[in-house]
Amino acid sequence: MNCPIESRNPEMLVAYAAGELDLETARAVEQHLDGCANCRAKAADQAAVWNALDAWEAPPVSPDFNRRLYGRIEQGVPISWWERLTRPFRPMPLRQALPLAATAALLLMAGLILQHPSPFASAPAPHSQTVRADQVESTLDDLDLLRQFGAANSTEGAHPDAM
Amino acid sequence: MNAQPYIPPGVSTDMGVAAAATLDYDAELMLRVKEGDGTSFGVLLEKHRASVIHFVYRLVQEQAIAEELSQEVFLRVYRSRSSYEPTAKFKTWLFRIATHLALNWLRDEKHERGQERLDDMSADLPMRQVSDRRPSVEQVLVYGVKLEEVRRAVAALPEKQRAAVLMHKYEEMEYVQIAKVLGCSESAVKSLLFRAYETLRARLAHMGTT
Repeated sequence: MNCPIESRNPEMLVAYAAGELDLETARAVEQHLDGCANCRAKAADQAAVWNALDAWEAPPVSPDFNRRLYGRIEQGVPISWWERLTRPFRPMPLRQALPLAATAALLLMAGLILQHPSPFASAPAPHSQTVRADQVESTLDDLDLLRQFGAANSTEGAHPDAM
Repeated sequence: MNAQPYIPPGVSTDMGVAAAATLDYDAELMLRVKEGDGTSFGVLLEKHRASVIHFVYRLVQEQAIAEELSQEVFLRVYRSRSSYEPTAKFKTWLFRIATHLALNWLRDEKHERGQERLDDMSADLPMRQVSDRRPSVEQVLVYGVKLEEVRRAVAALPEKQRAAVLMHKYEEMEYVQIAKVLGCSESAVKSLLFRAYETLRARLAHMGTT
């Protein structure tokens, strides 16, 4: 057996089947194959393997692959200190800003009402001849609560010099 | 993707871009990702998504796992953008990550369930692999048998040989690229491929050239 391909460069038949050889080398291999039955059989087998591998198609990629990937990227993206600092002051879309503004306005109004309670709200409830015990208890609780709020507001509102 | 990646002060990215231009366009895109350009990441994803998923699929032979691992591949690419240096072709780097993750998964899987799993995967063959040209029942059966034989033959190869064959056959990567992915010499890749194709020839050559 004196086959130059088999003894010195057996990888050449793989490269030949893969179409990796330049034209000149490929022609030289073909000439060799004409006279070497062993290499001819191997080249044919290699071509068969190549074709068999061609038949193996991979399934298509899921359509939501990118969405899932970007979701994971968003989850794991570290936020810089500057972004953390400026995020609350960024302009906000109207759809998000409106409910927040409405909530803030309500809180502000509630605060103003508590700070300057209406004379009607603090006025004692008119006495009734027929008062139930649970009503009395509830009214006393409310009055106590209002007194506590009034005391707290007067302490907060007082100027330190005036005390 | 509006995150701005951290670029160390004093580091000029212009030099990196110039170096990448001598390598490949993908590396240049990756340097743009490094500079905070999310669109370039999208371009790279579109370009390489299918080949990465298909490569990992043929290695692990389970579509759901292949997609999960491929997600991890691209996630790692994105997360390591700030430290990216274009020392090799982008595709080489990408497939190095993919191969590493897939082979690790295979080792863990083999450890957990045993090697027999790879020999018993005919049940989860996705039907969509069959061509859409409405073949006859007989053709479908023949194709299924042939495909199963190919899958088993590839799965039986040692891990490095398997990865080398998949990169060589389906990704048409050069020996030097495969060598960089697998962390071995070019001659070692030639040897790996030769032995792998010898094994495949013994198992698949009877299938003929048609």
